[in-house]
Amino acid sequence: MKKSNDIFLETVHNIQQTYGYIPEREINQLAEKFDQPRAKIYGAIKFYSMLYTEPTGKYIIRICDSLSCHLKDSHDLLLAVQDYLGLEDGETSSDQLFTLEIVECLGHCGEGPVMMVNDKMYTELTKGKALEILQDCK
Amino acid sequence: MKRLEIDNIEVEVEPGTTLLEAARKINVNIPTLCYEEELSIFGGCRLCVVEVNGGELLKPACATEADDGMIVKTHSPRVREVRQTLFELIIASHDISCELNCLTCTRQSSCELRVVAEDIGISRMRLNPIYRGLEKDFSSHSIVREPNKCITCDRCIRKCEEIQGIGIFANSARGPETEVTTFQDKGMGNVECTNCGQCIISCPTGALHEVYHSEGVWDALYDENKHVVVQTAPAVRVAIAEPFGAEPGTVATGQLVSALKRLGFDGVFDTNFTAYLTIMEEGTEVVKRVTENDNLPVLTSCSPGWIKFIEHFYPDYLKNLSTAKSPQQMFGALAKTYYAEQAGVDPEDIVVVSIMPCTAKKFESRRPEMNGDVDFVLTTREAGMMIKSAGINICDLPEENYDNLMGVSSGAGDIFAASGGVMEAALRSAYYLITGEELEDIDIKPVRGLTGLKKAEVPINEDLTLKVGVAHGLSNARKMMELIKEGEEFHFVEFMACPGGCIGGGGQPIRADMTSEEALQKRLEGVYSIDSSKKMRRSHENPMIQKLYDEFLGKPGSHKAHKLLHTEYTARGLN
Amino acid sequence: MVIEKKFLKGNPLKDISEYDFPGLRRALSLGQENVIQEISDSMLLGRGGAGFPTGTKWSLALEQAGDKKYFICNADEGEPGTFKDRFLLEERPLKVLEGLMIGAYAVGADEGFIYIRGEYDLPIKIFREILEDARDEGILGKNIFGSDFDFDLTLVRGAGAYVCGDETSLINSIEGKRGISRIKPPYPIQEGLFGNPTVVNNVESLACAAEIINKGAGEFVALGTDNSRGTKLVSLSGDINLPGVYEIEFGCGTLEEIINDLGGGVSYGNKPKFVIPGGLSTAALLPEELNCGYSYEDIEEAGSSLGSGAIIVVGESRDLVEILLKVSRFYMDETCGTCFPCREGNKQINFMLNQHKNKKFTRQEVEIIKDIGDAIAAAARCGLGQTSLSLIESIFDKFPEELIEEVRHSEKVRNR
Repeated sequence: MKKSNDIFLETVHNIQQTYGYIPEREINQLAEKFDQPRAKIYGAIKFYSMLYTEPTGKYIIRICDSLSCHLKDSHDLLLAVQDYLGLEDGETSSDQLFTLEIVECLGHCGEGPVMMVNDKMYTELTKGKALEILQDCK
Repeated sequence: MKRLEIDNIEVEVEPGTTLLEAARKINVNIPTLCYEEELSIFGGCRLCVVEVNGGELLKPACATEADDGMIVKTHSPRVREVRQTLFELIIASHDISCELNCLTCTRQSSCELRVVAEDIGISRMRLNPIYRGLEKDFSSHSIVREPNKCITCDRCIRKCEEIQGIGIFANSARGPETEVTTFQDKGMGNVECTNCGQCIISCPTGALHEVYHSEGVWDALYDENKHVVVQTAPAVRVAIAEPFGAEPGTVATGQLVSALKRLGFDGVFDTNFTAYLTIMEEGTEVVKRVTENDNLPVLTSCSPGWIKFIEHFYPDYLKNLSTAKSPQQMFGALAKTYYAEQAGVDPEDIVVVSIMPCTAKKFESRRPEMNGDVDFVLTTREAGMMIKSAGINICDLPEENYDNLMGVSSGAGDIFAASGGVMEAALRSAYYLITGEELEDIDIKPVRGLTGLKKAEVPINEDLTLKVGVAHGLSNARKMMELIKEGEEFHFVEFMACPGGCIGGGGQPIRADMTSEEALQKRLEGVYSIDSSKKMRRSHENPMIQKLYDEFLGKPGSHKAHKLLHTEYTARGLN
Repeated sequence: MVIEKKFLKGNPLKDISEYDFPGLRRALSLGQENVIQEISDSMLLGRGGAGFPTGTKWSLALEQAGDKKYFICNADEGEPGTFKDRFLLEERPLKVLEGLMIGAYAVGADEGFIYIRGEYDLPIKIFREILEDARDEGILGKNIFGSDFDFDLTLVRGAGAYVCGDETSLINSIEGKRGISRIKPPYPIQEGLFGNPTVVNNVESLACAAEIINKGAGEFVALGTDNSRGTKLVSLSGDINLPGVYEIEFGCGTLEEIINDLGGGVSYGNKPKFVIPGGLSTAALLPEELNCGYSYEDIEEAGSSLGSGAIIVVGESRDLVEILLKVSRFYMDETCGTCFPCREGNKQINFMLNQHKNKKFTRQEVEIIKDIGDAIAAAARCGLGQTSLSLIESIFDKFPEELIEEVRHSEKVRNR
């Protein structure tokens, strides 16, 4: 029987929970544990957009801009948040507080526009509500 | 057997045969890019798609097994139309532009894209190239990667992992950002790359090539104050005529010498000379270490790809490596000492150039412990380009002899180019050094089940039977090292980084018209034709070698020999 | 007037102490073959989007030799507009678990995985708790409910890659590889996870299976049309007044009725510009095409596909290129990047669309888009790729006057 510890993705998630990202030495260890070249482990990690090989901001802000949310004005929300944080897609603030990502569907298409702050999902957002949430993070 | 119909021709094939193989059997050529016979199936380029039983969805011929009753159309109107569009997409991703174009590409005459374009019969190109803006990787002393030219066919990745057993490359990211990269994007020079250059041979485009040294060599040749000498490795002479239209395996030793003299080299020497010297030093070391039971087995040290491999993956065994420098570096060391003295030239003014079938030799020449004895290393490919751009067609030249002093060459040396050659020569010398007699026949029997690994037992005298091994290709090197780790007894093991040895080196000409195995086979035949046409000599019989020891080095393993001809290694691990 | 038919929907069911797994118990007493027979009798089609008969899948898996088989629940829902699996994972997780265990028992799998997309934080938490409780209660483990059925289930969190919703990509992902599709054959049922026979089923399919065994195939098969049995969870979103997850009996209403009666009508303008009936991989339908029944066969006849059941309504005055760009960016970003047609084709389409924000497309450009569409549909490696341009191509087909330059007189002359 496989334990969840034997499952690569679960192991990687756990490492990320500990460090906030997957440090190089951990990739070296993963390569040994899963008996794969370390380049391959690195390449596998880089495939997934929720896994990071560099430190991110304390809060990862993900805003969905897929079709359904787009029809609910996710673009305006996005512009307001970008403006507030002064960040483009994929950037991290210099104080390491925020990382901003424009993402595809988050599965709350009936409640758009939506924004995730780390694990937490906020739905039916207005610009005002979104900025309030971000303010509370500071 | 499976019976099917391909392009209206009945075919019968073994179960498990792919449609691609079945089509080739009846001489139907289906274009491919990501397919390479010796590698696993990737199924990414989709150029080999064919119609099966008239189905809407086309099937990749490389990954579809032939089955009874299949009706296959490999070049139907629909297939040809789809292939044209696929090819347009590939070219748009290949970033052809003013700066980056076929004329300046390292693969101008061996580009697989051009061969495929012809095979498909491309008649249109409607898409704009999309610039990816990726940075070139200049981190390695041996190999440059130009990711904008990469079409992500995965062949370098598979070659490195499956054939060489290393895996420094991987696909990273996904979607439009998918790219081939190294661990943590560190670049080839900062990871466990052995510089073997096999990836270059597999690359269908010019995304991978050697670090060019030709500009430096031109400058040196143009500089009247420099005394420029060149050495040519054994595997080069059976491949150098290829860029001039000759078949692989065409022997052009004398023509090469002639061409290099026309280029303006002040001395043209044969690396075989220092290969003998390597054998003398290494053979002496083997005898000493076998007698003293000192860190056995002795592992050969002439293949720089293998050296970097062991430094990364088996650093505990560095003490087993022979300390003898490779022939290239021995030549460099002697050129700037003994030769300088003999020729009356200030060592400062001597520029040493090597022509090697190898990309790892470039890295080797830059190792700090080598003191810059070799200034420039040209691959066979680069040498070919230089000769061509000097207006010389090597095939038309008369033969000339190597310069003396370091140029007395004889048969046994040429087989260094092939796997097993070094060991054979070393054994002859070791046998002579121990018994004082000549060893007439060596029988190296391949061992069942372990391709690319050879083992043999050579009785020396009543008390001693030498157990020797040979491994070529780094996957096999790893297998051999595992055997040694498990305790299998050897006295002496030869390692070559490249499959087939130096004739299959990463610096050899790339053929767009045949597989690398076919080229390898032909070059091998060339090597043995030289060997059989020449009178055999043993390293210890070579009169120039005797003279060198008498006049300059003393005897094999002497203090001076150690200072000039031996080296040390670095435990690198995976950092 | 369409109303919801509640076959899968019901009160929240998350607390393991409140549920006795009657379906699983019944399955264990029926025996493997009979369970599969009942699923086959129900004519359940897979609800992930491809619509493969679940009974057939299970019976093929049961026939596979080998003592190690895996059963996987695909909860990597990620196609824009689709959120019905999340509804089940959050509201009725025990039904999903029950369906999964029934399936595992039926095909002879003793180990399973539920792969939930990493963004679904709440479902992940819910399942983590359920799995812990189920192990404590002996619902997972050895000799389940006194039978000789042993089964353990591991939760795997996805990490942000839509393409892992393809079953072979999902298998690669669980194996720790890049989530790229595999070349079929071999199919997962023959050679799947870690080289063993593997069944991958969608969340909704498993919830259906649980209810079918609970209530009997008869009740399920009596619902719907001849070719589309039972009910379907539909995710309504876009320019619509009452978005959400609705359960609809196949054939009991038209798309138009679903949009108006359940969805409360269009929220952006008076009527839809077009409707996407089954997620971003399905062709758009014009308002006049919406009078088609909600079933696999009727939507197919209308020229599209029911897909995953995601109905996205696009209002009358929306800008088409903007919509096309969103769709194209999704496919461009989410392709696995392995096969050239899908990777380069979607990139090229996106590139072309980006250059056309305010101007129409030439005939030649449209021809290029069509050629790329054909090449992708014919030669891409997996279903995601093959269908990636269906929607975009259909929009070009259906709105030529809005998107494509008129052929000028001079050109007409020249073409003659």
